[in-house]
Amino acid sequence: MATDADAPTPGGPEPGTYYGRGLPYLSIENCPGKIIAIEGTDGIGRSTQIRLLREWLEVKGYGVVETGWTRSILMRPTIDLAKASNTLNKLTFVLLYATDFADRLEKEIIPAVKAGFIVLADRYIFTAIARARVRGVDRGWLRNLYGFAIAPHLVFYLKIDVDTLARRVLESRGMDFWESGMDLKLGDDIYDSFRTYQTKLLREYAALATEFNFRVVDARLPVDRIQENLRAQIGTFLDAEAAAPASMR
Amino acid sequence: MLVKAATKAGKKKNLLTPMTFSLLHATDFADRLTYKIVPPLKAGMIVLADRYAYTAFARDVARGVDREWVRDLYEFAVRPDLALYFRVPIEVSIERLMARRVKLKFYEAGMDMGWSADPVESFRLFQRRVLAEYETLVGEFGLQVVDAVGSISDQQRTVRALVAGQLEASRGD
Repeated sequence: MATDADAPTPGGPEPGTYYGRGLPYLSIENCPGKIIAIEGTDGIGRSTQIRLLREWLEVKGYGVVETGWTRSILMRPTIDLAKASNTLNKLTFVLLYATDFADRLEKEIIPAVKAGFIVLADRYIFTAIARARVRGVDRGWLRNLYGFAIAPHLVFYLKIDVDTLARRVLESRGMDFWESGMDLKLGDDIYDSFRTYQTKLLREYAALATEFNFRVVDARLPVDRIQENLRAQIGTFLDAEAAAPASMR
Repeated sequence: MLVKAATKAGKKKNLLTPMTFSLLHATDFADRLTYKIVPPLKAGMIVLADRYAYTAFARDVARGVDREWVRDLYEFAVRPDLALYFRVPIEVSIERLMARRVKLKFYEAGMDMGWSADPVESFRLFQRRVLAEYETLVGEFGLQVVDAVGSISDQQRTVRALVAGQLEASRGD
């Protein structure tokens, strides 16, 4: 990988603060809630893990709000249409996704953290960044674009290798156009394209893992083992936060 | 157009925040740039753009979006060879709007900011900030100011002189 002049020093901003210039009209200081993001490519069981985490957290007495990629009321229909019609270029796609995220950030995520909820994000901004980088969108520009996002308190990255991923996807629902990066015109064969594209994507995730302090979890493990790992790390984090509330620091 | 559909839906339901308003317009601009602006430029044609990125710089910042952020956002835009700013005092623009007898649109009047329940007063408050931003853009990006208070023919004379000068200069390159 080429060195990235825009890469921040690991650590980045404090969790719960804006990555960049933020939303000047919306102060998020001293919000009691937490943002926990689960990242990783399609087909690695993110939604299963999130469902299990939610149950566990609610039993522990936390209020939980889920947010997921392209689920905004504002943008969902447009993004679905864009995917179906294949008329948009990469930049337009990146901006549509950013708009979707902004909408959910202001209407779901920020109100929830202000009210003390735990926000479980089924993908945050990183999958979008990884996909855009694979498509050659400028790294510095992407970082600035998502400068309005809030740094999550925890980011888990469910990591997988391309061989295992290919088999898993084929066993479940098969390879689709976008997941196989067919828009990049890497070749006519969907399997080859999938492998080439996902390999590039995994490389970008690896770079982002360092840049943004991801906690890496082996996604090849059984579902319950992954869940145990996640719960242990989240539990430690929440206990430490309860012992020293943000407002006291 | 696709993005237009989302923008329209968002505007109709007053769903947009300053940030999503800004991003949706940038998305629409990226689309227009790809299909309507860059191809004719490559063919050596002249593109006349009725509002460009500068509109976003003024309008989005007036809504409270970060000044630097929105400039960086539009880094993908082609820098125009000539940018004209039709300057008009706020009272004149209000007078003209009233003369049109059309209802002020929600976002156009900055009603989303909640500064006034009266559309005209809201427009005045919002537009004052928009115009102040334009004034900073004039120096920052070298916008050519056209006095838009004068008659159409006077304005057109000024515009033609500026365009002719620019074309003359480009030919020399």
